[in-house]
Amino acid sequence: MNVLMKRFVVSIFTIFLLLVLMFSCAPEASKQELSSETPIEILAPEDANGKFPYKRLSTYDFFTGEMAKLSPNSSLLPYQPASSLFTDYALKSRFISLPKDTQANIEGEELNFPMGTILVKNFYYPTDYRKPEGERRIIETRLMILEEGGWEAYPYLWNESQTDAVLKVVGAEKEVRFINQAGKEQVINYLVPNKNQCKSCHNKNESLAPLGVQIRHLNHDIAYESGTENQLANWSKLGILVGFEGKAAHPSVVNYEDQSQALNDRAMAYLDINCSHCHRAEGPASTSGLFLTYGQQDPLKLGVYKTPVAAGKGAGSYTYDIVPGEGDASILLHRMNSTEIGVAMPELGRTSIHAEGVALIREWINQMDEK
Amino acid sequence: MTPKRTHHSFEMIRPLFLFVFGLILFSCSSQSSEQSFDSSSLRRATIEEVETLVEAFILAEDSSTIRIPEGFYDLKTQLILDNKKNIRIQGEGMHKTVLSFRNLKSGGEGVKIVGNNITIEELSIEDAPGDGIKAQHTVGITFRKINVTWTNGDKSKNGTYAIYPVQCKHVLIDSCIASHSKDAGIYVGQSEDIVVKNSLAFGNVAGIEIENCDRAEVYGNTARDNAGGILVFNLPGLPKSDGRQTRIYNNDIVDNNHENFAIPLGEDPNGNTVTMIPPGSGVVLLAAKEVEIFNNRILRNKTYGVAISSYQVTGFPAEAPNWSPYTSDVYLHDNSYDRGSFSLPDLSRELGQLVSLYNAHGWLKTQDIIYDGIWDESISSSIESNPMRICIQEAGMESLRFTRFYLMEGEDNIASFSDSSPFQQCESTPKNALSLSL
Repeated sequence: MNVLMKRFVVSIFTIFLLLVLMFSCAPEASKQELSSETPIEILAPEDANGKFPYKRLSTYDFFTGEMAKLSPNSSLLPYQPASSLFTDYALKSRFISLPKDTQANIEGEELNFPMGTILVKNFYYPTDYRKPEGERRIIETRLMILEEGGWEAYPYLWNESQTDAVLKVVGAEKEVRFINQAGKEQVINYLVPNKNQCKSCHNKNESLAPLGVQIRHLNHDIAYESGTENQLANWSKLGILVGFEGKAAHPSVVNYEDQSQALNDRAMAYLDINCSHCHRAEGPASTSGLFLTYGQQDPLKLGVYKTPVAAGKGAGSYTYDIVPGEGDASILLHRMNSTEIGVAMPELGRTSIHAEGVALIREWINQMDEK
Repeated sequence: MTPKRTHHSFEMIRPLFLFVFGLILFSCSSQSSEQSFDSSSLRRATIEEVETLVEAFILAEDSSTIRIPEGFYDLKTQLILDNKKNIRIQGEGMHKTVLSFRNLKSGGEGVKIVGNNITIEELSIEDAPGDGIKAQHTVGITFRKINVTWTNGDKSKNGTYAIYPVQCKHVLIDSCIASHSKDAGIYVGQSEDIVVKNSLAFGNVAGIEIENCDRAEVYGNTARDNAGGILVFNLPGLPKSDGRQTRIYNNDIVDNNHENFAIPLGEDPNGNTVTMIPPGSGVVLLAAKEVEIFNNRILRNKTYGVAISSYQVTGFPAEAPNWSPYTSDVYLHDNSYDRGSFSLPDLSRELGQLVSLYNAHGWLKTQDIIYDGIWDESISSSIESNPMRICIQEAGMESLRFTRFYLMEGEDNIASFSDSSPFQQCESTPKNALSLSL
């Protein structure tokens, strides 16, 4: 088609379009907001009869002395994953309890626990993040208990006076205020998940599964009272783990906060702990074909020049999950950098933006080769 | 792998339209905010009733029924049924039991179901920020007489899919209504053995979409006032890599001229394929395999009745393991068509512009059937031998507007042909013998 012809066509179109200018659409008013408060339950003391879950956290007798101090009794062992899942800047203290005279074992890539193992994870906010050991408010304690039918998750919501927590399967909402690292007051509308939402993340082939308590996340040094030691080596020494053959014999993940590590390792560690619980072949987001486990090598599965599938408004005005060299044109970053429900990823556990995480992934994408 | 998006087909016509883009804001796509009923007059369920409902989903035991009494339930958390068997979730009717997720604070969908042999019926789901109801990894999932919609006046705030089974087997969607979703109203993805029948999809971007699925029967439905009526897609790079065998019959696919609100007006399509669908699309096949379309009433869709297209038209990378970008083995017969009067094809999307400018019957003429004419050259050097086995046997073919495009030399040499005879030689087209009863 030559240029004259094009011009002719264009002018014809203009006339047609002018003819149909009168069509437009008027928006309607939206419904009014509703609000309500969840009543706090008051419960009588209960017996530790061995039938889980208990209604009150105190019934498990995990902690000695004042409960809010979270000082573990001798049956609890602290643990730390190398990288931590971001949950609205909440700090976490984590403990594991194995039944007396039982052991966990390593089989290939799997870390198997004996029946009755309990994971205890406390979510709290210091009043001032510049003094994380100072005054704090505990919001919830999540238990994962390995029962006959597999792992079960039980969320316990702490009371205002911080004397106990009660089982709350339907979830809750808490406003949290704190002074952040920069010395500014920050307000977060913290959401306690309902029991079944736990599995939105803790999901492996539709069975509930721990996230941090996996070999690659535990295979690193942490500080004990007796000195610094590899966590799994320590467990072996204590006689609660068999099959550990030294750090190098097993996979491990770096701490994404450790700036001395390679950028790619840090970014993959971040995506692994924050995203791969869903975004892997065994997870609920397998539908997307976007797989973000540590060590993923296939560029398409990582999202490089991959179009979204069911992203809806999550795609924003972007075309691909990752555009190498262009972090800010990548859907992956767009969804990390949003708090809008339907856009924000992960779908649960985050109502604020993890600025440090966004910066890390932006840097990682920006430095990718444009192939 | 193709590193960058390549508009190898339509780049040329884009500049032509840049200056009229502003005008397209006012083009003649329609907008619908029609509601099946008004839920605001219903009794409000108390906070205790809402908590009881959330708990009922969490504590449900196998082989039980969750009954949801009449009322409007203002939910702030998701309803999740997790790994249960033989459960019936039963409301008092779609006009009486309404689950509203307008105030949902987190979660990708309002209702989520995983398990075996689950039925949900007789209720409405409104205003979920993500998807309305999603079922995943479920063998035996029935949606019956449920209505899933959004009540926002501003439809840009609406969620993605209304009814969304994915990675399921034995899916039945019967007598449901899906409206105003920003992507597909009824979307079945990566599933097997599917029946979608007697349902209504309106006011969505896509009415009914079957994506990367095997063996789907879509019949007795009405898809009206969407941007696109019924879509059969296969997208690359998914765990269920390609899908085949879909039958679409006895449906009313009418007036699908709604604006495509999957992206803001005037903005370019993003990576979601549905953002490229031109308003006025009846049926769209994209990288589809073994599709039979018959006895449908395909009426007054302003751009085209049926589009047969390969994935290359998206301009996205078109390579993935165990997946083909070509649409093949299509059997189109005994449908009735009406192009409507005074309607102009879409100008807001590249595919609409292609039809408007390059169809074989004249500028701005609505088409009944278009075929992008992109074929696999490893099968044949010429399209005249019908290498992708496209079979069209419509009554009165001579009075229908058929266009086969030629796009394989990219933007510099687009051509179109009205001759459908190569595609009426149907000997090699397998006649679909599929018949599912669920």
